[in-house]
Order: sequence, then structure tokens, then C-alpha cells
Amino acid sequence: MWAFYTSFTNKALVGLDAARPRFVGLDNYQRLFSDPDFATVIFNSIVFVVGSAIVGQFVLGLLLAILLDHAERRRYRFASIAYAAVLLAWVNPTVIAAFLWVAMYDFFHGSLNTGLQALGSAPVDWLGQFPMLAVIVANIWRGTAFTMLIFLGALKTIPTDIYEAARVDGANAWRRFWDHTLPSLRPIAALALLSITMSTFGTFILIQTLTNGGPGIRTETIALYAFHEAFRSYAIGYGSTIAVVMLILNAAFAVLYLRWSRARA
Amino acid sequence: MTAIGPQAQAQVAVPPRTRPLEGGSRLEFVLMHAAFLAIAAFFLAPFVWLFTAAFDAHAQAYIRWPEQLTLDNFVQIFDRYAFATALQNSVFVAVSTMVLTVCVVSLAGYSLSRIELRHKAWITYAILLLQTMPLSATMVPIYGLARELGLRNSYLGLILIHSAIELPFLVWLMKGFFDSVPRHLEEAAWLDGRTKFRALFEIVLPVARPGIAVAAGLSFLSAWAEVLMVLILVDQQGMKTIPLAFYETFRTAGGYTEVQYGLVAAMGVLYVLPVMAVFFATRRLMVRGLMSSTRGL
Amino acid sequence: MATVEYDDVWRQFVGQDRPAVAGLTLDIANGEFLVLLGPSGCGKTTALRMLAGLDHPDRGDIRVDGRSVVGLEPKDRDVALVFQSYALYPHMSVRDNIRYPLRVRGLGTADQERRVTRAAELLRIEHLLPRRPGQLSGGEQQRVALARAIVREPRVYLMDEPLSNLDAKLRTHTRTELKALQQQLGVTTIFVTHDQAEAMTMADRIAVLDAGHLQQLGAPDDVYQHPANLFVAQFIGSPPMNVLAAQRDDGALVLAGGWRVPMPRLRDTGAKTLTVGLRPEAISLADDGHPAEVLVSEPLGSEVIVNVKLGDALVKVRTGPDVRPHAGDRVRLRADPAGVRVFDRDTGVALA
Repeated sequence: MWAFYTSFTNKALVGLDAARPRFVGLDNYQRLFSDPDFATVIFNSIVFVVGSAIVGQFVLGLLLAILLDHAERRRYRFASIAYAAVLLAWVNPTVIAAFLWVAMYDFFHGSLNTGLQALGSAPVDWLGQFPMLAVIVANIWRGTAFTMLIFLGALKTIPTDIYEAARVDGANAWRRFWDHTLPSLRPIAALALLSITMSTFGTFILIQTLTNGGPGIRTETIALYAFHEAFRSYAIGYGSTIAVVMLILNAAFAVLYLRWSRARA
Repeated sequence: MTAIGPQAQAQVAVPPRTRPLEGGSRLEFVLMHAAFLAIAAFFLAPFVWLFTAAFDAHAQAYIRWPEQLTLDNFVQIFDRYAFATALQNSVFVAVSTMVLTVCVVSLAGYSLSRIELRHKAWITYAILLLQTMPLSATMVPIYGLARELGLRNSYLGLILIHSAIELPFLVWLMKGFFDSVPRHLEEAAWLDGRTKFRALFEIVLPVARPGIAVAAGLSFLSAWAEVLMVLILVDQQGMKTIPLAFYETFRTAGGYTEVQYGLVAAMGVLYVLPVMAVFFATRRLMVRGLMSSTRGL
Repeated sequence: MATVEYDDVWRQFVGQDRPAVAGLTLDIANGEFLVLLGPSGCGKTTALRMLAGLDHPDRGDIRVDGRSVVGLEPKDRDVALVFQSYALYPHMSVRDNIRYPLRVRGLGTADQERRVTRAAELLRIEHLLPRRPGQLSGGEQQRVALARAIVREPRVYLMDEPLSNLDAKLRTHTRTELKALQQQLGVTTIFVTHDQAEAMTMADRIAVLDAGHLQQLGAPDDVYQHPANLFVAQFIGSPPMNVLAAQRDDGALVLAGGWRVPMPRLRDTGAKTLTVGLRPEAISLADDGHPAEVLVSEPLGSEVIVNVKLGDALVKVRTGPDVRPHAGDRVRLRADPAGVRVFDRDTGVALA
């Protein structure tokens, strides 16, 4: 806790200066916001979060939760294997996930390309040509369990009676889903979305290991940018300003999240 | 007293309220199981690679049954890549973090639970807020801070930082646990003449043991998996933990594209084993605990 | 409006060593109010669900209006089910809840409105229409569940212990209302309950079940006065029938403590030892009866239940409100010959 506190005050000392402590005021911030690369970085971050968190993890998590809940109500056993598999990907350290996907995406011998070649098509340079996509998929693999768990929790609270009553009332499967399952999820969906966005925002190791922000800066998200600027160019101050921007953005999300979750409770 | 007819035998338990949904056509059965197969395959494939490549003499990046089963990869990582040091360091740091965290968190959680403060809600709020900070944002400030304080490349630094990461969440968790321990347990102890401290130790802690177990488990796992902080805090060979060891094989092999997969897989296997062991043993507890933290990497 | 037939229906759940429903055969007349009565686990709810289509029989047939419904989806059977938990859709208003079955069938909005209003009026819940189920009391929720069933104008109403979640006073009140409603609408109704008083007050006929088997089918009076076996005899009636072992002796039955009661004409099995049942109201405290000692008197306002000790047995006697013997008093018991029921000692089947 104190680490975070002091980092805040610390940045006031260290952040607004270059490697040699010198007070330069808001120069760094100015530099940051006028940096054209920064715009790309922001753009990348948005694309990544939207792609991975919203489109990927949110939707996939929802689908998985619905699938698993339905399977449980119908007493299908095999579902628990799928469930454990999804969780396994999430529970293990990110470093592992990163390296596993490095292997997957490897151009010459990675699993994906080997599979493609076996099917007769040419290998794809995933990390070179489709870096953002590659990184998004890897992160989806890693993080879907989170939303899945949230939705699963919500779905479990729906008593089977409701579905049976709907059945007797005449609703078919699609109808039951649309009229009863989805509306019950609506309150928690917003929270889940916010939650997963916050979570995905700070993703670092995965992207760093897979593409290191490249090629060029095509997958440079804000977290990587902070790191690179601070440690490559030894501009600690500048790195700190980026970090501050990140923290502020994140805090904004967090406040929203906490307020909404308390309103629901 | 009286003879009851065979019809009125002992009653069988009513089928539980959560009845399975009847119905479900054959088609649905097939489709759903196909879906589960696909999902399981997608999520498990990388792990399959991990466990096969680790034992492969000429490990490739794609999944295949090893053409030559060997333990050589494991031997190599210990011989040439100082994995033993990395392992030692990881274990030491993780265990120390766990111990430190549990002590701090238990006391903090207990205090927060029992003390009457006007703005207690705000403190809880603040704590939760802190937990949502993405680590990658704090990397830079912590680097600076650690450098100033001389905490880089030291066990102390690692342990402190690692503890700090999960601290807010775990304090909140412990507070919740202590909240659920009714006060009159301690009050009875006080009336019996024990001091507050002894009461805490003898009465409350045993009751909160599950919570402590969860906190211990989570802090261990978090420290075990931690790589961001280690990256910025450590650059001495002797201090590296396992995650950094991974990167070592990465680079020493020359170019960016040359990854020594066999070695990486071997390290990976050793690295994930504790995690998987704990996972399978305590599935439910972990899920609940991990779900409450919104930290991402 | 329809007839319902269960024809040798069997159902056993996986993992249970006894069938839930065994050879159930039942004919229900058009417009009848039939109660399925029995203790928990006797199979009454399973039987109901099979009729609704939420479960399917392993063997046997279920027919509505002479046509088999086994294999039909619930919605094609034209039956309405009121759940014990009411199963109201929590995210919809009361009006939308009631409207739902009509909406699903694609009825025109005007028609929907008309029917909903009518159902609401019938159950006097018009003022609740805009609210949500979560805002209603138990009794109100129950009416909404009923309205949702009525609005469809189905052939059969099925009710699964709809009153058991209500508090006692509301329950007795709703009982009469429900019965009146059913008579007004004239729709065949199958009602499941474990409460024998409920069954007695509401049913045209009662089907008593135990452990999946039908024990007796008959009008309430019938089932009360002439139980087919010991189980029914003891399940129906409050306080329960006194059951005593008896020895046959020369045209009379000798009960505990040497009490001789007249023996009714029996289906003779030749057994010497039998089981005799006497309802509390079939015993009176008279001057010329068999002596017994009072243990305790339970005054209930309109009557008094006197617990007496007879040999080893405890016998309950129903008397008028002014008779109030004290513990330790000696009284004399007399049995009404018309109220003596005899059962086989081993099988429990009624012999008279």
C-alpha cells in the first residue's frame, strides 16, 4: 500500500525531471501530449482493449458461461473439463501464457503454422503481419475465465423453476433465452465490462514477450510505452509522466466501477 | 405400537429443488459436446505443448509426441542456465512474501474489522481503489523509489514489493473474514481474563483459519507469478527469479526468432507444477478469491 | 375443460432404488377438483409434472380428453401449472408476467389486454399490475401466479402445493377462495398437497399416495370414514385415528387394557390378532364404559381432546367443550360401533 502512496508523491519529485534531477515543470506532459507516437500508442491501447476485453473476453466469457450453465442444468458431465481448461489458462502465471503463445505463433515451427501447412496452406507470419490480432487472441485465451466466472455466478442465481414456467407457458428455447436469461444478466453486464476493461488495460508482459511493441510500434500500448521510454532512453521522468497518465485513466475507471458496484449492492 | 402396512415405508428424500431441465434433443447433446471439445482443445493446447516439449530432445514449437524422450532439457537448465538459483530465489521470495503478508494482513484485517472509525467505509473504499491500479503503471515509479532507497537487487526489496502488490485486496479479504467472526467469542475471552492480544491469538485466529489459508495461498501464488516487479528490481544474475530465467534462454540463443523451446518448456513445467497442484486441490476457493481482484497483467 | 387419465404410469429416477411413481392409474372427470395427497416423497409432484410435460413416464400413458399427451411439449398440452415457488419472472412487471403466455402464443395486443384485465379482476389484483414480483407479498405473488395460469384458459389447471408458502391464516382464507374460483370457472383441476385438511376442504375427490403407490381414491367423506388401509386412516384426520392392537374374542374385539368393543362384520382372514382404528369422535366418555385414566386434557375452544391411558396405549377422545377432566381423573370409555375400523395386522388393509 505504501508503495503506491509513495510512488504517487515520488513522481512529483522524480517525474517532472530528466535523469539528472532537475525541475522542469510540466514540460514532460507537454512533450507527451504533442508526441505523434503517443497518439498511436493511445490508439493501439484502445484497439487492444476493445478487441481483447470487449469483443473477446466479454463476449466469449458470456457465451461460455451460458453454455456451461445450460450444461449444468442438463447434467452434462463433459462440461467440467472445458471449465477447468478455461480456468487453467487464467490461473497460471502470465509469463507462461506469454511463452506458450510464442511457441504457438512461431513462424517456422509454431503449432498454428504447422497445422496450416498440414492443411495445405502457407504459413502466416502472425507476429509480423498480424501483431495486434495475435496479441489480442493470446490475451483472450488468458483472460476469458474472468468474465466467464462473473456471468456464471449471475446465471446460477436463476432458479430452474423460471425456465420450467416459461416452458409451460409456451416459450421455446430461443424465447426462454431472450426473455429470461439475458434480462437477468443485464445488471451485471455493465459491471463485468468495466471490470474486464480495467483488467486488460494494464496488460504488459504478454505483449512485451510476444512482440515487444512491434513491429515498429504497431502493438505498442500505453503500458509498454511507459516502460520503453523510461528504461530504454533512461528518461525516468518521461516514463513517469506516462505512468501518471495511465494511473489517472485507471483511477477514473475504478471510481466508476466502485460506485456502480456499491449502487448494486 | 401399531403395525403399519408395507405401503407406508420409510420416506425417500424428495428430489432436490434444483431439478435438471428435462428435455434436450439429441442434436443439442451433440452440438454442445462438440462445443466443449473445441473449447477444451483451444484452452488446453498450449499446455499440451508445454508438457510434451519439455521431454523432447529436439523440441519443436509445435505440439507433437517427442521423437526422443529425454530429461536432458531439465538437466541443461540446471547446468547451463542457473535454474537452480532462479528456483531458489523464487521459492524464497514467494514463501517470505506469504509469511510477511499473512502477518500484516491478519493484523490489519482484524483492526479494520474491530475498530470503530467514523470514516471506515471510506478507508475500505480507498483500499479497493488502490487494488485496481495496474502494475504496469506503477513500474516506473517503483523503479525510481527502489533505486533511491537502495532496494534494488535485494531480497528485502523483492519481498516488500511483492507483499505490497496483493496487500490491499488481502486486507479487505481478511477484514471480511474477521467480520464474520462474532464478537462475543473474544468478549467471552476478555471476561475470562485474557488480554486482547492473547484473545486474538487463541480464539479468533483459529476460527479465521480458512481466511488465512486463502490469504496465504493467494499471496504465494501472486509472488510466484510476479514478473513485472522483478524485471525492474533485479539485474544481477544471482538475484533472478524464474520468470527472468525464461527470458534468459530467449536472448542468449542469439536472435529474437531463436527460442530454445525445449529449455523453455522444461522451465515452464517446473514453474507451473506448484500452481497446478494448488489449483486442482483447491479449485473452488481459488476461483472465488481470484475473482475478487481486478488486477491484470 | 377436459378429462384426464393416468394409465399405469411408472417413473423411477436414476440413482433411486424405488420408483417415484408406481403403476398409477387414475381417471379424472371433466371439471373435477382432484387433490393428490400424500407425504413428502410420495410421488404426487412427479405425477403432476409428468402431466405438465416437465417429466416423462417410463411406462404407461397419460391422456387428456382421451388423447395421449406423452411426448408432447408442455406448450402443446394446453395445461397451466402453478408452481410452489410461484416462479414469477422477476425482471418483468406483474402485467407482463400475466401476459407472457399470451404474448408467446402471438395473441393480438387487444386480446392480450382483455384477458389480462379479466384475470386480474377475477383475482382482485388490478392494483398490482404495474408492480414487480419482488415488491409483492407472498399472498399477492400467489394470486399473480394463479392469474398467469387462468389467463391462458387451458383445459387443465395443475397446482403444486401453491398454498404451502403462505402463513396459516392466509392459507385457510385462500383455500376457500380457490375452491370458489374453480367452481366458477369449472375447469378440471389437479391440486397437489401434503396437508390433509386442505385436501378435505377443497377436493371433489382425493387420491391418496404413498411411496409412489395410489392408496385410495374417493370423495373426502369416503376417505375419512372408510379408509382403505391403515396409512390412509392415519394420514387423514386431525387428531389422527387411534390405532390399537386387538384380539378377536367371541364376536367382540379386545383392545389394550381389556376394553371390549363390538366387532363389525369382517372380511374374514381368520387372524386372531388384528389392528383396530377408532377416531377420537367415535369414542365418548360415558358412565357405563370401560375405565381409563386421564393423562391430559387439551381444550381447543370448540371441543376438548382428552388423552387417556388405556393399558399401555394412549387414546385420544374428542368431547364437547364443557367436559374438562383433570389429569389423574378416572373416566369411562364407550366406542361407537359404527366407528370401529378393523385392519389386517400385517398388511394394514381395511377389513371392515
